[in-house]
Amino acid sequence: MRKILSLVLALALVLSLGSFAFAEEMTEVGTPRAETLIVETQTPTDVPGQFNSYMLGTQMGFGIHQLMSAHLWEIDTVKGEQFGEVAEGMPESNEDFTEHVVKIRQGIKWSDGEDLNADDVVFTFNMIMNNPGIGQSAYANTVFASVEKVDDYTVKFVTKESFPRLALRFGVTIWGNDYRIVPEHIYSQVEDVTQFKDENPVVAGPYTVKDYDPNGQWILYQLREDWQQSTLGVVTGKTEAPAAKYVLFKVLGDDTTRQMAMINNEVDVMCEVTPEILDVMTSSNDKIACWYDEFPYATSDDPCSKGLGFSIGKGAPYDSADFRWAIALAMNFDEISLGIFDGVGRASVFPIVTATSAGQELYYKPLLEWVSNFELDLGDGTTVKPFDPEYASRMAAELGIEGTDEELIEMFGVGCWKYDPEAAEKLLVKAGLEKKDDGWYFNGEPFVVNLTYLADTEAQAGRGVLAAYDQLTKFGLTCNISSESSATWDTNNGTGEYEIRGIWPTGFIVKDLYSQINGWDADLIAPMGEIGSGQGTRWNNARATEIIHEMAKVSPDSEESYELGLEFLKVAIEDMPFIGFHSGVKFVPTNSTYWTNYPCAANPYNGPWWWWSCFKYIVAEITPAA
Amino acid sequence: MKFWKYLGLRLLTWALTILIGVTFIFFVPRMFPSDPVEGMIGQMQARSGQMDPVAKEALRTSLRIQFGLEGSLWSQYTSFLWKGLLHFDFGPSLMSYPTPASEIITRNLPYTVGLSLTTTILAWIIGNVIGLLAGFRKNKRSSKILETIAICIYPIPYFIVALILQIVFSYVLGWFPLRATILYNGGWVAFMTSLLKASVLPAVSILLLGTGWWIISMKSLASTTAEEDFVLYARYRGLSEAKIGKSYVFRNSILTQITALAMSLGGVFNGSIMTEIIFGYPGVGTLIQDAITQSDYNMILGCITISIVAIATCTLIADLIYPFIDPRIRYS
Repeated sequence: MRKILSLVLALALVLSLGSFAFAEEMTEVGTPRAETLIVETQTPTDVPGQFNSYMLGTQMGFGIHQLMSAHLWEIDTVKGEQFGEVAEGMPESNEDFTEHVVKIRQGIKWSDGEDLNADDVVFTFNMIMNNPGIGQSAYANTVFASVEKVDDYTVKFVTKESFPRLALRFGVTIWGNDYRIVPEHIYSQVEDVTQFKDENPVVAGPYTVKDYDPNGQWILYQLREDWQQSTLGVVTGKTEAPAAKYVLFKVLGDDTTRQMAMINNEVDVMCEVTPEILDVMTSSNDKIACWYDEFPYATSDDPCSKGLGFSIGKGAPYDSADFRWAIALAMNFDEISLGIFDGVGRASVFPIVTATSAGQELYYKPLLEWVSNFELDLGDGTTVKPFDPEYASRMAAELGIEGTDEELIEMFGVGCWKYDPEAAEKLLVKAGLEKKDDGWYFNGEPFVVNLTYLADTEAQAGRGVLAAYDQLTKFGLTCNISSESSATWDTNNGTGEYEIRGIWPTGFIVKDLYSQINGWDADLIAPMGEIGSGQGTRWNNARATEIIHEMAKVSPDSEESYELGLEFLKVAIEDMPFIGFHSGVKFVPTNSTYWTNYPCAANPYNGPWWWWSCFKYIVAEITPAA
Repeated sequence: MKFWKYLGLRLLTWALTILIGVTFIFFVPRMFPSDPVEGMIGQMQARSGQMDPVAKEALRTSLRIQFGLEGSLWSQYTSFLWKGLLHFDFGPSLMSYPTPASEIITRNLPYTVGLSLTTTILAWIIGNVIGLLAGFRKNKRSSKILETIAICIYPIPYFIVALILQIVFSYVLGWFPLRATILYNGGWVAFMTSLLKASVLPAVSILLLGTGWWIISMKSLASTTAEEDFVLYARYRGLSEAKIGKSYVFRNSILTQITALAMSLGGVFNGSIMTEIIFGYPGVGTLIQDAITQSDYNMILGCITISIVAIATCTLIADLIYPFIDPRIRYS
């Protein structure tokens, strides 16, 4: 009996060991880990199972617009150029830009096998315009007179006024676009599209929903069997299926949990982290990497540069360009850079337009000669040239980085504003301030600068304000610093209820600057305390406004538009409504334990923008690790 | 007759407590220097760079109308009293419009109540038993050790305990998931297994600290009661220590603990923000937090109203059942 028992036990042990050894590693949602790409999403959804992009509250960044949505035009983030996704190429407009013919790609099928054609596009835009409950409805009605089908694969958009930027407005430039094509055969059957959750979505993207957490913490997507008929398959013409059969978007929670999950290989792709977190993760797991393998690690190509904005509507001295320039020259930019991310980041000091790689080539470098000769009148008969082109070489020496001039400029930017406290003092005096033994005075009262930043999120902007506080205090200004929660931040931005704050009213993705600058139109400025449609900064510059109006009338592809953009930048530099620090610096880690061929500096086939709608084109390139 | 008068007065107090509480909670968020519409537009703008000024203005107008923020404050208040307080219809969640706030709360509440109720009752039972032993037999070595453990655990910040548990049992040993993953589509067994796995660490972290508090408070009560004349008298009469402990010390000490338990049970609807954040456990704690940061008035009202009603009701129940537990108390 004892022998039999021993035999049974031994057999059980062997079987259990065997099954353990050959067991396929599974994810917590029951899919094979080797077939599942796990991507972090930062915000849980309170409406799990809601996939209709035209119902308010849908969390599009939870993989929905990355994997399932279809846009007329998408963005090539490397070239900064749009391409047709549902559309076959760019729109063909008439001479006065009031009629736009858009060809639809043939061969795209919805995930239920129906063709995607002009009917879907026409239905989508008319559905938006006919439903005031859809957030985009009012704007679409402002723009379009009609959207009509010409034939099965041709749509004509007729605009009420000249509208040269159809693709830029109704296609993806940054992150995504709120005009997504829906299946006419599904949505036309729905009584009220604003109340339709679309729990089993029929999509044109390459993935569909397989499962989701009713508590909103994760969504599991599965590759369509007919993915070649999806937008991804038709646009790229690929024959080899994306290796990731499943993509799991999940919330990882607080920073500690995020780090542990990444180190334990429980996630493959993460959203933004701080350099300190990256350091911990890379030192604990050699499979974790960032955009660069070594310094600067992060990409500096995020389109939103961070810096200091002024509430110009508050009046003197904030409405004085001399004051704003004084603040710029009172700060040592080298120390600010070291204070924010230890010197990582490309200087992006021109107001409003971000020095992404493309932005630097198209706008910063062409203006180098002009800005190097640009002078400020200090009010005492002297002038100063504020631009400092030596920043890149100086930072490289400080940090022990070697490289060609071109490499260093790519890394650190074309230059920054000089640290010139003496000139800053003269400019403050010119702006009406007075320096006494115990500090600066304005209108006979001690002058105090209040600096604010957004709490919790946007580390780069927040650290920038802290660094600015140090610099301005060192310079001799009396400063207060405080943070605001997101609840009050946006309201105060609009009402102008601040003095100087760390903001990012900036950007750059495509050559045409109009979409980036039209919010700075002075005609849109609302009175202080009210919220308008324009900039909360309330920069009122007549020439800048004129340029915006002129630009609105010309083609985004024209040389005239580009020249106007350059001129706008010169005006903005002279008037300095915003002091830029660095372009958007993003530390976005990847883990190559299970998957590899993520976009990176050595293989920049796309930007590391997992939260953008173009992510589907990245997933197609990611391959299993050996 | 005395009972009915007592009940009437208690019900009146209960109703007034709730009315004052919800009125306060209705008006305070509206005094925030924030606006849910601007918050939503701000989020949209932050993720997609600049927004066309015309599109922004159109969206703002559309959202203000849809969110029902156009009416007067008084009409919003009376509407809330009728719909929210009497029918628990708090309107749509502004951050997840048009989904009703009550639908989202209902989805999260069972997790919060399940976890909090279990841990609160377990902590109460374990803490009171240990506390009674520690207080009644305070000179015994085992009592001193138990009291020392409780005193050591209780002051540790709750989130530190949670973090230590997470690091040891999830990160290092890998016995539990770093974040709660509850499976709904794999059948009943998969659901229960995943729910239990997700609940163990959050429950232990709450239990450890909760028990510590009950031990300390019960020990204090029991040691005071054990010195009372009637306990000495019982001892002189030759009653056994077990009988004295159970019938004299425990019954007299437990009254205060029952009131405290009633208050704690009312609080189980609040959720535990730190548990939910650290372990990713679903619940209303983070709902309240998000609602406050995004000025979701309806969600704030929904969550807090439930909590106010629960605490007030539990206190009312405690008041009503007190005379049954302690014969010295009468309805007067």
